[in-house]
This record gives sequence, structure tokens and C-alpha cells, in this order.
Amino acid sequence: MRKVLILCLFFHLSCFAQNRELLYNFTSIPQSSLVNPGADVSYKYYFGFPVLSGISANVGSSSFSAYDLFANDGVDFNQKVRNAVNKSSSNDKVVTNQQLEIFSGGFRIGGRESRSYISFGLYQEFDFFMFVPKDLALLALNGNRDYIGKSFNLGDLNMKAEVLSVFHVGFHKKVNDKFVYGGRAKIYSSGANATSTKNSGYIYTGQEPGTPNLYNQVISSNLELKTSGIASFTKDEYEGNIARDIANNTFFKGSLGFGVDAGITYYIKDNLQLTASIIDLGFVRQTKDIETLTYKGTYQYNGANPDFLGSDDPENVFDEFDKAIPRDTLYNKYTTWRPTKFYSSIQYSFGEARPDDECNCHGKLNTYYKNAVGAQLFAMTAPRTPLFALTAFYRRNIFRKLDFKATYTLDTFSSTNIGLGLAGTIGPVNIYALVNNVLEYKDISKASSAAFQLGINFVFQDKE
Amino acid sequence: MRSRLLSKVSIIFFSVFLLFSCSSDLDFDQVNDFKLEPVFVANLAYFDIPANRLVDDGGTNIGYDSRDFDIFKNKFFTERLKKAEFDFEIENSIDRAFVLNMLLLNEENKILQTISFTVPSYKGTPNVIKYPTEVFENTRLDLLKQTQKIGFVVIIAAGSPLNSESLGNLKLRSSATAYLEIE
Repeated sequence: MRKVLILCLFFHLSCFAQNRELLYNFTSIPQSSLVNPGADVSYKYYFGFPVLSGISANVGSSSFSAYDLFANDGVDFNQKVRNAVNKSSSNDKVVTNQQLEIFSGGFRIGGRESRSYISFGLYQEFDFFMFVPKDLALLALNGNRDYIGKSFNLGDLNMKAEVLSVFHVGFHKKVNDKFVYGGRAKIYSSGANATSTKNSGYIYTGQEPGTPNLYNQVISSNLELKTSGIASFTKDEYEGNIARDIANNTFFKGSLGFGVDAGITYYIKDNLQLTASIIDLGFVRQTKDIETLTYKGTYQYNGANPDFLGSDDPENVFDEFDKAIPRDTLYNKYTTWRPTKFYSSIQYSFGEARPDDECNCHGKLNTYYKNAVGAQLFAMTAPRTPLFALTAFYRRNIFRKLDFKATYTLDTFSSTNIGLGLAGTIGPVNIYALVNNVLEYKDISKASSAAFQLGINFVFQDKE
Repeated sequence: MRSRLLSKVSIIFFSVFLLFSCSSDLDFDQVNDFKLEPVFVANLAYFDIPANRLVDDGGTNIGYDSRDFDIFKNKFFTERLKKAEFDFEIENSIDRAFVLNMLLLNEENKILQTISFTVPSYKGTPNVIKYPTEVFENTRLDLLKQTQKIGFVVIIAAGSPLNSESLGNLKLRSSATAYLEIE
């Protein structure tokens, strides 16, 4: 029981939206092309520091924080759990995304004047999405005695999880000074998937006239859990290392899928820029080690019913229940859609500057803007309804090779989310660090969500 | 040169910022105190015997039936059951008095406990009798947990004979309340 709880908490604590508002359009970081393949990124070639080019980790929760549960304040832990459940709603989301870039790189194709680029890479991703199953938490915490007449909604059970690796190849081209477009093809290899998003049914205890016994007790269940790459771990015969086997399946033996990213950057004016991108428009065909569990049926429990007729009618509650709501195991392949993300931004730049710390020997004036402000929109597909976020940002070029970005984001998780990002280049070494929800860092335990992302790249430009 | 130095400084500053963000005093051992104490109610047993099924000669008669009651085969439930309560209500609209004995039986049909209800005869007005709650704790609870069957004995007290034309019913409705402690 405790293990289950700790596991639940782990998931609760590692929840976060997949919005990458700091990375988006932060074009001094090559990885920004992962959130907009049409980002105005330029290089002669670059490669990411293996495994360290893009690490992102997130913590947070839409309804309660670690502090709410674990504060050392003398309040009874059970009461805190109760408060947290009461405070939550079944529309509270738990969204986690973790990514680790294994390798990445890119190069310019064509000659010195060309502005076409190829990029490629492999990254590992973990996605988790769940709605807080409030009704079932209430039932487990309190039982049904104080909820006569209430239907506990089994549709509150709604989650999906996936570990996958993504190999991608992208192309982007700056057609002219005004327009950049890009696209990326992705091959997904899913090592493990669990999907349970189409549940319905209820557990009901009522007191109504006309029923044979004191209560009208009904369980109506339409539950389905699809898994891929997990079933063999649940068998008694399994004697391997789950983490190693999942990793192995993720990179070498996963269920395959395909997806695309696309994006554009358009300069309406020299200092007014519009961007848009769509990421992970794709699917995975789950075919490896698949198992679907269903519990479908309706069971009404009235209690033991002697008839005094001398008939030997053995009643067995468990058998009856199993017959009414049987556990079925199916082995059908299924298709899962990737959480598709949409980004768009508008940016106004001001404060024209010339590089003053470098000698301009070629006579060509490379002016640039020191400041930019703008707004970004984020949307992501999710079970029930999509997630949205709106971001205002300010970007400042502190020095030629040091950029700073600050964001303020409004979303379902927080209305006080301020993010700070820095990207600097020292010689060919490009280092970036992005931190989300900085206000919460003064007491991280109270944070409803927090994230950081950092990475190291080697970027080579033409010698001027 | 200046930018190089400053970017280094900025990155160091940034790392420090990450490392030194503080946290309130948290006590994760509290999870060991975690205890669920749900209270569930469920139907227990019921019957509705019409008088014409109790055809008799007017003397004292006994009707008997038993039903499997296998909830305590479920170890998870049995081990966590800390207290149980049974509630009964009986409605008699037959012109005879009854005694209903509910027998908690183990696997070998040995009687573990008998719960007895006296039911007065019908006097012309509807009469639903709610009996006092039967509470199972400690040793009584241990006996309950061995229950595999419930036997029902209906003793019909002497009175005017019943036949296939007789009117009225003897109705039992009952529920159980289970207090669980899950940790």
C-alpha cells in the first residue's frame, strides 16, 4: 500500500506541462529548432555534447505541492492527504515530460552563401498524463458510508504513460531575409506504453424505495487498460532487470511509429517577427508485448437471499461479481497518438546595435537588435480537452554572445510562472540553462511546478 | 574578452542560483503514518416470505435455509477489518409471531454465533421494527471473521393456521458496516 502511495506521489511530484516557453524561439540555442523546425537558427555545423546537450527535468502539480503533504508542521499526515484530495478536482492534471538528448547535430548544406541546413538527433522521452482520480481517492479514503446517493465516477481514471526514443532528421531553409521554413521527420520507438483514457462507469450506493434490501448497490464498469512492452514484467516468471529491459526495448526493440514537425519564421518587418510550429504530429503503432485488460459489466449486489424452499442454491459473491464484470485479456495491436504541440509567437525587436566588441574587417554591417518583447501561445492535445498556455517574454542581448530571456506564463498549473534563461557562447562552446517558475525557488517545496533545462553544444560558425 | 568573462560569471551565478534554492523542512517519513480508514456499507441479507408459503397447522414450526457468505475468504479485507456492525429491520404482516435466528456458521457448519430477533404478530397496522445494531469487535469480531455461511431459522409461534389463501409477508432487510484500517 505504501509503495503504491509513494509511487503516486512520485508521479504527482514530477508533473509538468510540456510547454517549453523559454526554449521556444531562443535561437542562440540549436535545440530551439526542436520546438520550431523553422526557427531562424544558423550555423556552419554543430553537435551536442553527447548526453549533455539537452537535459530537462520537471517537478510540479496542478493541485497541491510537496509542502502541502510533507511539511514538518505537526499536522497529521492523514489529514493532509485528506485536505489535498478535497482541494483537488477531477479535472486537475498531472503532466510530466522528461527528455534526454543522446546525440544531436546539424550542418549547412551547399556553399558558404547557402542558408539550408540539415539537423538530426536521437533523444529519449518520457511522457505521463493523468487526471486526479478524485472520486476513487475519496472512496478509498472515506468509504461509501457518508456518500449514500453519490455515484463515484470510474471515468475519473484517465491516464497515459510512454517511454520512447525518437530519431529525427530535419531540414530548414532561410529562403530570404524574410522567411524561414523547416520540417522534421521522426521515427518513434516506444519501449513501454500504458493507456487508459476511455473509462466510464460508476460505483453507486443509494437508498431508494422499491429495492429488495436496504441499499441499492450497483457497480457499472467499463474499464480498459492497454499496455505495450509491459506485460512480460508482470509475469511471475520474469526475472530480469526492468529498467534495463525497458531501456533496451526503447532503443532497439520498441513499437514503431512515425511523426512530423513543421514550422516557420516570418519577418513582417525587419523588427517584427512571427513564428509558428507544430510538433509531434504522429502516432505509434503499439505491436510489441501488447496486452489489454478490460473490466466490463454491471453488478448489482443485494445480499444473501434465503428462500426457505430447501433448494440448494449456492451463492458466491465473488463468483457472481467475476461473472458480471469479468476480467478479460485481449492481445490486439493498437495505435496511440503522440501529444501534439502547437506553438506560435510574435516578437517586436528594438534597440538597434552594432557589434562593438569585435573588429568588422569585412565592411559588411551586421546590425542587430539588443531587445525583443513578445507573446507566445502554446497548446497541446490531451485527453478530454487540450492544454493552453500564454507567455509574455523579454529577450535581451547582454553581449554579442550572451543572451537572456525572461518569460511570464499563464497556464492551468500556475499564474505566477516566471522563467529565466541564459545562453552563452564561449568560442565554439554553447551553454544554456533555462529555469522555470523562479519565484517558487525561494521555497521549492511549495512549488506547484518547476523545471530546469540545460545543455552544452559545440557550434561552429563561419570565420568572419 | 569582457563578454567571455561575463558569460562565465553569469553561468556560475546561474548554477549557484540552482543549487541554493531553498526548501522548507520536509519530513518524508510521514508517509509511514499513512493510514486509510474507510467505512463501507453494504447489503447483508434479505428475504420476503409470503404467508401462503408457510402453510402449517397452527403449531410451532421451523423453517431453515442457509447461504454461502464468503467475504471473509478475502484476506485483504479480513485482515484489515477492525470493526463491523450489522443492522436489521423486519416487517411482519402475517397474523403470527415469529422468532428469527440468524446463525453465523463456519466451514464445518458449526454455529459460531446466533443473533436472535423476536417478531410480534401483525396487528393490522404496518410495523417495521428496526433492531439494535449488532456490533462486532475483539473476540466477537474474530468469530465473525471465521464465518463462511449464514443460516436462517424462522420459528413460527403457535397461532391461527396458515394456508395457501393466507395474506401477509415476513420481510427482512439488513446491512453491514465495515470499518477498515489500511496501512
